Amino acid sequence: MDTHPRRPRILIAKPGLDGHDRGAKYVAHILRDAGFEVIYTGIRRSPEQIVEAAIQEDVAAIGLSLLSGAHNVLFKKVIDLLKSKDAADILVFGGGTIPPDDVPFLKSIGVAAVFTPGTPAKTIVSTLDSLFAQPA
Amino acid sequence: MTHDLAQLVRDAAAGTGARQVRAAGRLMSMIEDDPTRLPALVVAARPYLASSPLPLGEGREGGCKEPPRLPRIVLGITGAPGSGKSTLTDALLGEYRRRFPQRKIGVVAVDPSSPFTGGAVLGDRVRMMRHTTDPMIFVRSMASRGHLGGLALGVRGVIQILALIGCDLVILETVGVGQSEVEVAGIADLTAIIFAPGQGDSIQLLKAGLMEIGDLFVINKADRPGAAELHRQLLSVLKLGVIEEHCGAHHGIGLPQAASRGLPDSVGETAASPELGLMRSRPMPDVQLVSAAEHTGIASLLDLLEKKTDDHHEDWAQRRDESMFRDIRDSILEAARQRLERTLGRNGTAHGQVARVLAGDLSIEELADDLLRRTAGAPHANAGLAPGRTSNSSSKTEVM
Repeated sequence: MDTHPRRPRILIAKPGLDGHDRGAKYVAHILRDAGFEVIYTGIRRSPEQIVEAAIQEDVAAIGLSLLSGAHNVLFKKVIDLLKSKDAADILVFGGGTIPPDDVPFLKSIGVAAVFTPGTPAKTIVSTLDSLFAQPA
Repeated sequence: MTHDLAQLVRDAAAGTGARQVRAAGRLMSMIEDDPTRLPALVVAARPYLASSPLPLGEGREGGCKEPPRLPRIVLGITGAPGSGKSTLTDALLGEYRRRFPQRKIGVVAVDPSSPFTGGAVLGDRVRMMRHTTDPMIFVRSMASRGHLGGLALGVRGVIQILALIGCDLVILETVGVGQSEVEVAGIADLTAIIFAPGQGDSIQLLKAGLMEIGDLFVINKADRPGAAELHRQLLSVLKLGVIEEHCGAHHGIGLPQAASRGLPDSVGETAASPELGLMRSRPMPDVQLVSAAEHTGIASLLDLLEKKTDDHHEDWAQRRDESMFRDIRDSILEAARQRLERTLGRNGTAHGQVARVLAGDLSIEELADDLLRRTAGAPHANAGLAPGRTSNSSSKTEVM
């Protein structure tokens, strides 16, 4: 019998060209241990692939990991695509080597949270929990 | 996005583009989160499946007059972690799309949930991402979650939804170990077991479970050392099984060459008898040697699958009805068991009775009778069980 409270499904993706997936895999791991179902999609994915996969999987959130510096462009592309497919209710959060100066811009385009290197696992889980607790 | 089942079914069946994909994805979550809604889904989907035109311009030549209720074939792909199931699925997707550009394909990839946290990492998609933006391919990952029988119903629901969006082939990928996994393998019309060299010796082939649910055996990574040896061992183990169960009477015996070449000859012909659930009714299964990564043997594997589909899809359709019936019955029993269990729980009305059984005041049978009486009149907590009563009756777990 299922004794665990169901937690939302989350898609973890790496848009763009950098192949450093350690951070993305680490986040997938801690989210799994926190009881989330994580759909891991691998490296070097296009925003189109990420959004299409997220819709087929009907996830509650997409976590984007990026270390190439192209976050301002690629995160925005993902959010725009979600809007164009009537899927703006899917949360987008991100992580990676993102300069603090870029965080306000990312938040302004609709990125719900940004987790930079060194963010404790607990913070990630509790932030996501509180995001999911809010009505969409 | 709506949460109305009937509306979503309509959008999945008749919608186009992103609207159809969204509706299908959302419906799948609804069924996954509450598998007891499967009957409601089946009822809502029926008119669309019965009246919709064939989704194919080509293919399906002259064959069936009736629109199919479900995909022509639900192919189970099962095998140990690392045997290359997802890579093989990816290769089959590529080959199938090349051969039948008009046909839609659905993939259901089941990975295990953690028994400790309930969490899961579903990674099968990684190998198939090149197909993600192909509108003719829909991939859905599922965690096995913990509930008894729930996964089977959930998977059935997802397949039903893939049928609604017009999928002709559904590939159901599972690890195939453990009770719920074996249950799920029973949903497939044909189950292919995938092996790879370097994953244990021939003793592994004797262990219970995996070998018993295979209709077709695929040795993947044929480019690696040890593949030929594994092939030999597998054939000899499979032959042993056939000899035991048919007392050597089956005409397939003595024809290992035919089987080893994977020829769709008479050896495998009766594989879809209605009693397929029973190992002992099986003839010698086909064995195919492939390399998914190098794309060798994939075309002949698909040839074999197509041949089997042409020969058996009508039997399969009937068997699906029977096995659906069985799964529904199992989930009714499970729902009843849960209600009984509540009366014995810490806050249940019969919680104290167990001590009386231990003290010898009451027999197990008497307490069982008592529990059935207690629960008979009690209103049940999960109204979603009632078939045909759809959207508002199961208000739980629609949080997304």
